[in-house]
Amino acid sequence: MAPVEIRGLTKRFGSVAAVDDLSFEIGAGRVTGFLGPNGAGKSTTLRTLLGLINPSAGEATFGGLPYERLERPSTKVGAVLEDTAFHPGRTGRNHLRVLAVTGEHRPERVGEVLEEVGLTAAADRRVGGYSLGMRQRLAIAAALLGDPEVLILDEPANGLDPPGISWMRGMLREQAARGRAVLVSSHLLAEVAQSVDDIVVIAHGKLRGKGTLEEVLGGSDGPVTEVRARDADALERALLAAGNRIDRDGERLIVPGATPEAVGLVAAEAGIALTGLAPRARSLEDVFFELTGGAE
Amino acid sequence: MTPLLKAELLKLRTTRTFAALAGSAFALSLLVVVLTAALANNMDKSDVREMFYGDFTGLFIVLLGVMGMAGEWRHRTITSTILAAPDRTRLLGAKLIAYAVAGVVISLVITVVIMAVGTAILSSRDVPTLGIADLADVLWRNLAVAGFLGAFGVCVGGLVRNQVVAIVGVLVLIFVVERVLLGLVSEVGQYAPTVGAPNDLQGNSFGADDALRPGVALLVMGAWIAALAAAAAALLRRRDLV
Repeated sequence: MAPVEIRGLTKRFGSVAAVDDLSFEIGAGRVTGFLGPNGAGKSTTLRTLLGLINPSAGEATFGGLPYERLERPSTKVGAVLEDTAFHPGRTGRNHLRVLAVTGEHRPERVGEVLEEVGLTAAADRRVGGYSLGMRQRLAIAAALLGDPEVLILDEPANGLDPPGISWMRGMLREQAARGRAVLVSSHLLAEVAQSVDDIVVIAHGKLRGKGTLEEVLGGSDGPVTEVRARDADALERALLAAGNRIDRDGERLIVPGATPEAVGLVAAEAGIALTGLAPRARSLEDVFFELTGGAE
Repeated sequence: MTPLLKAELLKLRTTRTFAALAGSAFALSLLVVVLTAALANNMDKSDVREMFYGDFTGLFIVLLGVMGMAGEWRHRTITSTILAAPDRTRLLGAKLIAYAVAGVVISLVITVVIMAVGTAILSSRDVPTLGIADLADVLWRNLAVAGFLGAFGVCVGGLVRNQVVAIVGVLVLIFVVERVLLGLVSEVGQYAPTVGAPNDLQGNSFGADDALRPGVALLVMGAWIAALAAAAAALLRRRDLV
């Protein structure tokens, strides 16, 4: 049984389906990137998963149980949501003490997680005086308090400076290395590409793609080759005659489904001199726009 | 329930709201008792009892309960609270008990202090004061009302999540609606939650001849909490935290 399973999840607000028959699962020991444009339904999915929103249909479970039925949930799931808020008059340490009492964790865990996120020095200051980055670290400390099996983070890099983002990346990898399932939603595609093992892409509440990062970047067309020639028109005719599909961008020809070797052979047989020939690597951004139709 | 209750009591102790409201209740109640005991003439035992009921304490305890619940939405901490305690009915139950306990503790401290100070002042003026039995009788009634009002405030905060609207609504209820009701239709007003039944329990029913007996007043207060808590729990369970 997967640590996190979402099956046919649907959430309607009136006539609008914010999440529409969504199904996917995430595995232990892996970081899964949860991507989609603004309004795609990412936050609604995560909040429904965490029992904060009642689903219209379908189910979301942790090890087979919905969040609200988990025994001591903070030992199973740690969550950092986008708008995690704190009472401004309470100190960071006291915020964690309250959560530690609720979750029946050792009091020493408070100091340990504060140390882990680098907030020990500011722990006895009121949260109202914290920077956005410090609040984000406090939210992460709260999520780690119960040493959970699953970590769910909604836009965790918000408010973090470059060293903070680097720390976050390392933390995510470290949590996965300890065998935890990590689900992270983010708009920072370059950042996601460096941090995740698997990808789930949604748009308009529907699943648009999922798989390992390599599978998703590989795409369904197989290899893609980019080629230039002195006589681009002649090369285009030769490639079309050989049964290829062409996406032309000025003098540059993009040939989906063909290797550089195959394209080179067609050009050689047609006696066309090439000025450039290279495999085209798809970026996560390319895949994102392809799957979501560029919707933002 | 115990960890949730402990957590709610810890929340209460770790912000300045509790100290500010409890301190205000203490200062105002003490001031009123000192002035009354020092300046009032011709006080009989019923006047002394009324002096020790510490009316202002109740107002601050209701506000504490309202802010304890509605404040979760105001500061948007409700999300992390429910993530930590996803059984929303149990969470509401823990809050009800915590704020009832807080009300009882505040009332206990204030009542004991004003009784000691008031008795000392009255004795120095050779004004007859209350014996131990009467003082104990006033004390349990104060504690019962304080516990009820703490839980009542939580119910209001659970039903009206906008803190400002909830506070203004409670003030209008206490100072306008219930008093008008008692004045115009006392047989209905005596069943009201913040002035009617609690005042009947404390024997201060604005001169109404048909005041509720203490046992009935306690039952009425319990019924109010049961009904409002059930409504607040239903609303809390159904509400999407988007």
